[in-house]
Amino acid sequence: MILTKNLRIRAAAVIGAAALLTSACGGADDDSGGSGGGQTGGGGGSDAAQIVVDTTFDIKTVDPGREYEPTGQILVKALYDTLLTFADDDTTTVIPDLASYESNDDQTEFTFTVAEGRVFSDGTAVTAADAVFSLQRLQGLKGNPSFLLDGVTVTEVDEMTLKLTTAEPSPALPAILATPSCGILNSKVVLENGGATDESDQAEQFLNETSAGSGPYTLDKLDAASEAILVKNPKYNGPQTPAYDTVILRNTEPATQKMNVERGDSQVALGLSGDMIDSLAEGVEVESVPSATVVFLLINSDAATSAVTAKPEFVKAVKAAIDYDSLLEIAGRGAAQATGLVPSVFLGALPASEALKYDADAAKAAAEAAGAAGQKLTLSFPNDIDPTGLNLTTLAERVQAQLAAVGIDVDLAPAPFATEVDAYRDGKEQIGLWYWNPDYMDPANYLAFGPGQTVGLRAGWPAGANTAIEELVAKGYTTGDLAERKTVFEEWGKAMNADGPFVPLVQPGSNVVYQPTVTGVYYNPVWLINVAGLSPA
Amino acid sequence: MTRVETQDRRQQAPRRSLTRRLWRAAPPGLRQPLGLVAALVAAAWLVICLIGPVIAPHDPLAQELPRFTPPGEIAFLGTDELGRDLLSRILAGARVTIGLSLLLVCLSMLIGSVLGLLAGFFGRWVDETIMRFTDLVLAFPTVILAMVTAAALGASLFNAVLAALVVSWPPYARVVRSIVLGLRGNDFVFSGRLLGFSAARSIRVDILPNTLGPTLVLASLDIGTAALLLSGLSFLGLGAKPPTPEWGSMVSAAVSHFDKWWLGVFPGLAILTVVMSFNFIGDALRDALDPGVERR
Repeated sequence: MILTKNLRIRAAAVIGAAALLTSACGGADDDSGGSGGGQTGGGGGSDAAQIVVDTTFDIKTVDPGREYEPTGQILVKALYDTLLTFADDDTTTVIPDLASYESNDDQTEFTFTVAEGRVFSDGTAVTAADAVFSLQRLQGLKGNPSFLLDGVTVTEVDEMTLKLTTAEPSPALPAILATPSCGILNSKVVLENGGATDESDQAEQFLNETSAGSGPYTLDKLDAASEAILVKNPKYNGPQTPAYDTVILRNTEPATQKMNVERGDSQVALGLSGDMIDSLAEGVEVESVPSATVVFLLINSDAATSAVTAKPEFVKAVKAAIDYDSLLEIAGRGAAQATGLVPSVFLGALPASEALKYDADAAKAAAEAAGAAGQKLTLSFPNDIDPTGLNLTTLAERVQAQLAAVGIDVDLAPAPFATEVDAYRDGKEQIGLWYWNPDYMDPANYLAFGPGQTVGLRAGWPAGANTAIEELVAKGYTTGDLAERKTVFEEWGKAMNADGPFVPLVQPGSNVVYQPTVTGVYYNPVWLINVAGLSPA
Repeated sequence: MTRVETQDRRQQAPRRSLTRRLWRAAPPGLRQPLGLVAALVAAAWLVICLIGPVIAPHDPLAQELPRFTPPGEIAFLGTDELGRDLLSRILAGARVTIGLSLLLVCLSMLIGSVLGLLAGFFGRWVDETIMRFTDLVLAFPTVILAMVTAAALGASLFNAVLAALVVSWPPYARVVRSIVLGLRGNDFVFSGRLLGFSAARSIRVDILPNTLGPTLVLASLDIGTAALLLSGLSFLGLGAKPPTPEWGSMVSAAVSHFDKWWLGVFPGLAILTVVMSFNFIGDALRDALDPGVERR
């Protein structure tokens, strides 16, 4: 009796401790979301039956009007063509897809001519009415991506022509129309299945079972928890040449992704961190580039939040205190210093020579001038989210150590994203460590960091705080000419680096690991990877 | 034969002093190899708690070594994702984990004993109120309740101890109450009351000393559980905040670098040895102090 009880207590202790111990290695052998094994499409190179792509799922829906999560973007990109798009290997020039366009000189009126002969997956022709329906539906659903077309009026001109007008000049509109959320749906099919261009729309469930687009693939199966299966659209007649008959996207833990792609159970892995890349086995390829995600520090300019951080000298001290090269070391393969808030893949990104520089002596002097000595400040960040494989806790610990070295004492305050995001959005953080993923491929995205703009306000930086920067923000929103636009954004970037309450830190690497049997792997800031662009080597 | 005699004598003298009982009883428990090893391991950890920072080869917070160095010449147990020495962090972590576990157990014992004494001694509505409240807390799954409390209070080591305290006092209250109930009817307590002892004096002189033995056994058994609970909360991000060297959060950080085995294995082993050694000591103590337990 007593012995049994003894044993039970001992066993409980041992099992409990062992659970903690082994959890470190546990990731290796958990379920891999239906890793059927042996699914080695493309291995032969000729039949190109199927390709397996492993990723960590972040998906709610594949309804273009509602989706705004990374995995949803990958799928919707393959299922729905957009009016305009970008080539796989270019992120700066918009090219025609379902339509070509012309704009007036003010960049307020955009006329689209739908390409002749393009068809949806059921064989019906793509018309201007479908495009108008899709874009109006995106606006009317008031879902996550609806903001993309704020202030845009969509009208049908004739069967193959539509017009988009805006009150303000909108040079970013063509790039916005290339995002998967602006995918064109088969209006007849969607209307028959409960679709509408306002919040009464009931088509989401239908679209999660059946796709209704003109893209190179159609949806065969979607299980938001485990896998999505796409099959080639036999009616597709666009410019792309999808090579694989079936594309399987599986929800897989990063550690399992690594093993799967190493032994050929999958052909592509999207979720490996920079550190994992360094220990990859021989025989797999890596496409490693700086992602378009910018990780930055926010320093609150509102004296009500912190009298210390609100001082311009304090911002200067932090900017000079960070040893940017040492951050790259922990950010892993493919990472680069963020030269400004606009990431390197976009027009108007700053050259490396304009990036912030580490200067410990200047930082110490500025910290003293700001009265940071003896002050305990708080650095808040979300600790359950790893933008592009970069662990924010690790980064925050490094930043904390560097700030301490120049006499700035910060406490780390990690919190789950869902908790911390409110303090961030309300502008209540003294110092915040956050990241920004581009919504569309145009630098206008980043003007939100200006004074009085969305992110500017989160740093307690109201309108009127810096008129020079505000003028550049206004110019950035309206300048259409590409060369002029580049200059405006560079000027804005320099001014932000000098006086803005944000410290751009790193662009974590985007690492796509793939079997050498696959080609056509390109990183895209918005839809990550175009599965229709993959083909056997 | 001797066993019978010992038992008989013990029955005749139930109030022999605690230290004497410990002295007489502990050696057999510790004479077993397992008990001896456990005692040595626990003693080693307690020493590390005291002098850990002095013998640590590096500052546990300094990010001065190459990242992810495997165990070897540069760092005996390797380095972590920020180039900190793992050995130094584990040594510094002993003070956090073991120190807080001891604090937690002492506080649980204090709160539980006081409530148990009150409930057992005064009975009636006091007993009903306290014990129904104890049942209420016991009805919740321990870890879940601790997690909820820690999450509500916000992540910090102090809050983790508070959260663990919420779930760890009820066993003491129940044990102490049952002992007090048993003692209350005894002649020596009764005679004390007849002599005019106040309730406070009666508790202090006649009752409290008799509750100490079983409570200490429970406490020693509890140290391991407390260490596990606190590490668990830190593992979940509800306890120690970075960069505090805490074993649970070190294991948690190792999860995202599963191929660097040393990151998780060593802090895990630290937790394992602490939990096991204190559990074995608790077992030995119970064998020694509990008159109902047969000697093995």
